Amino acid sequence: MLELVDSTKSFKKVKAVKKLNMFIEKGEIVGLLGPNGAGKSTAISMLSSLMEPTSGDVRYCNKSILKNPAPLRKILGMVPQEIALYEDLTAIENLQFFGRLYRMKGKELQRKIDVILELIGLTDHRKDIVKKFSGGMKRRLNIGVALLHDPEVIIMDEPTVGIDPQSRNYILETVKRLNEERQMTVLYTSHYMEEVEFLCDRIYIMDKGNLIASGTKQEIKQILSAENTISIKADRWNDAFIASIESSPTIHRIKVEEKEITIVVPKEVNMFSELAKMAEQAGLELRSIDINSPTLEDVFLHLTGRALRD
Amino acid sequence: MNGILVAKFTTFIRKPWMFLLFTTMSIIFALILGTSGGMTSISVPVYGSSNIQESFIGKSLEKNDVYTFNWMTEKEMLDLIADGKSEVGVIVKEDDFQLVVGVESTNAQMVEQTIHDIYAKKLQQEKLFEEVEAQTDSEKQLLDEEYKTAMDSPVFTMKTSNFSSSEAFVYDNETHFLFGFTLFFVIYTIAYNVLPILLEKKEGIWDRMILSPVRKTEMYIANLVYSFFEGYLQVLIIFLVFHFWIGVDFQGRFLEAVLLLIPYVFAVVSLSIFITACVKNAQQFNAVLPIVAVSMAMIGGAYWPIEIVESEVLLALSKINPLTYGMEALNGMVVYGYPLEEVLLPISILVLMGVVLMGLGIHLMERRHV
Ligand SMILES: Nc1ncnc2c1ncn2[C@@H]1O[C@H](COP(=O)(O)OP(=O)(O)O)[C@@H](O)[C@H]1O
Ligand SMILES: [Mg+2]
Repeated sequence: MLELVDSTKSFKKVKAVKKLNMFIEKGEIVGLLGPNGAGKSTAISMLSSLMEPTSGDVRYCNKSILKNPAPLRKILGMVPQEIALYEDLTAIENLQFFGRLYRMKGKELQRKIDVILELIGLTDHRKDIVKKFSGGMKRRLNIGVALLHDPEVIIMDEPTVGIDPQSRNYILETVKRLNEERQMTVLYTSHYMEEVEFLCDRIYIMDKGNLIASGTKQEIKQILSAENTISIKADRWNDAFIASIESSPTIHRIKVEEKEITIVVPKEVNMFSELAKMAEQAGLELRSIDINSPTLEDVFLHLTGRALRD
Repeated sequence: MNGILVAKFTTFIRKPWMFLLFTTMSIIFALILGTSGGMTSISVPVYGSSNIQESFIGKSLEKNDVYTFNWMTEKEMLDLIADGKSEVGVIVKEDDFQLVVGVESTNAQMVEQTIHDIYAKKLQQEKLFEEVEAQTDSEKQLLDEEYKTAMDSPVFTMKTSNFSSSEAFVYDNETHFLFGFTLFFVIYTIAYNVLPILLEKKEGIWDRMILSPVRKTEMYIANLVYSFFEGYLQVLIIFLVFHFWIGVDFQGRFLEAVLLLIPYVFAVVSLSIFITACVKNAQQFNAVLPIVAVSMAMIGGAYWPIEIVESEVLLALSKINPLTYGMEALNGMVVYGYPLEEVLLPISILVLMGVVLMGLGIHLMERRHV
């Protein structure tokens, strides 16, 4: 229904998106995953007709929107990455403002606003000034505003950045409900893989302007089918241990955190005894060694050699 | 578009502090500097016999607006100059005068010019008396009176406004500072009303509007109308306060002065758009704005009369400065009493600047985004 065809976007200094192909079908929740600076926002700016690609095409229902974005704009709801609200107005006034932009008014607008406030759980705060809102409440209103005109497709750019876990769950549940109850099509951008794993049927993973993986959750995890992810835990690490892990020929990818090291190894290799030996030689006491079923985070680690959130 | 205006006005009513601050600042500065006398009347020591002090020459010196001529003894005067307390002093005699120059400066030249003009006028008057060969004293007196009335209501006047004819350089302290600070501070008020465009673009409010059925032109017009309104409201309030409360009479041309502000405010709105389009973020804007506003005020004659500015470069710059034309138009009408036609030139330049800067600004803004 909505797609990017070989779309490239270059800015003066960087190529933010390189020949990206991507599509969303009606009724899907599609995830776009990638670390900061991967090109996610740029990609969805092109998809939503806010930015023209340097080359390539953007299509809605098989028609290019570059010349005529009106049909897409009519059915599109957009949740920007930043809080795009008037801070000195109340929740209701903000909703009224953006509603009027869509030529809604009077009773109809009022009814719509009540529904949205209920949906985003801000009915009790409808007369409060947005500046006084918590991060989570602002984020919820930021989403609510995009739903005013009953869009068929909603594009959300990192809608849960910097908020408390409750608000975050609330938002995720709301997105899921919108999709299930109203068949709303969703493109959900995030750098939290748990969110994308929870919400999305299909996932695109971007890094440095390139698409590095795409498909259903299962398909993407298949990438790791020949490998295991092992997490090693200890209270602290020493250089000798890390050095011996790094020099091991069988270990593919390594991510070191404070109390946990994640490594990716071929399935057939038995790492237990080897890791135990390494720890003993380095004089390090391990807490546990677990073989994990792969997550999207592991896929990202596998594909790029870097953690998703550095 | 109405929606955008409603949002802007609601925000204004909730947060009028910036507006009130700049409005009060204009009023306070204009009041303090305008009534303190300050820099206008440069004091010049002068020595002359008591006869001279009572004569036409003496009276003309005392009437001068630009300089305050202080009578003193020759020695006192020379001491002042020797101590560097005065740049220039004058010794006046019946048919001749002598300048004692401590520091060679424009003031010295201007004082010389001023006094020279007074002697020239005296000569002219005397010539006139000789011509008609007035015999008796009573006849002379009659003629003198007639001459004076004639000079007060001339058949035609020649106005020269270049600097060498210093009599045309009237400088009215109170109105000057009133105009100066009004035109200066309103730059801030307007610019800080245009700045939100930049923020709204960055945050995505602008994107939301682009995706909605609202047209771009509506978005710009609403923002400009609002910025214009707030800027104009400020200058209007200041002028009203001075006219009705403090009692500045604007030489009976209050309404025209208020109307004259329209093209100026328009030009400043456009200038703000242009600046906003040129900067990358609010920090840059905050750094650039005071530089632009203060230099505009300095070379545009808001703090002191532009006639004092000498540097060729600064004078050239003042020609592309809306504030120069705003001051020129206001001073021209209120202080010099020019008819409206005479100030049409600065007005048209302001309108032209407004149109050009607005066009450039919007163009830049649009290009920057994609
Ligand atoms: N308007 C712009 N001008 C110049 N560079 C930009 C602009 N927008 C994004 N970029 C650059 O493009 C790259 C991708 O940015 P973005 O799409 O915002 O990534 P993400 O949303 O995944 O964090 C970054 O290197 C960023 O600096
Ligand atoms: Mg982004």
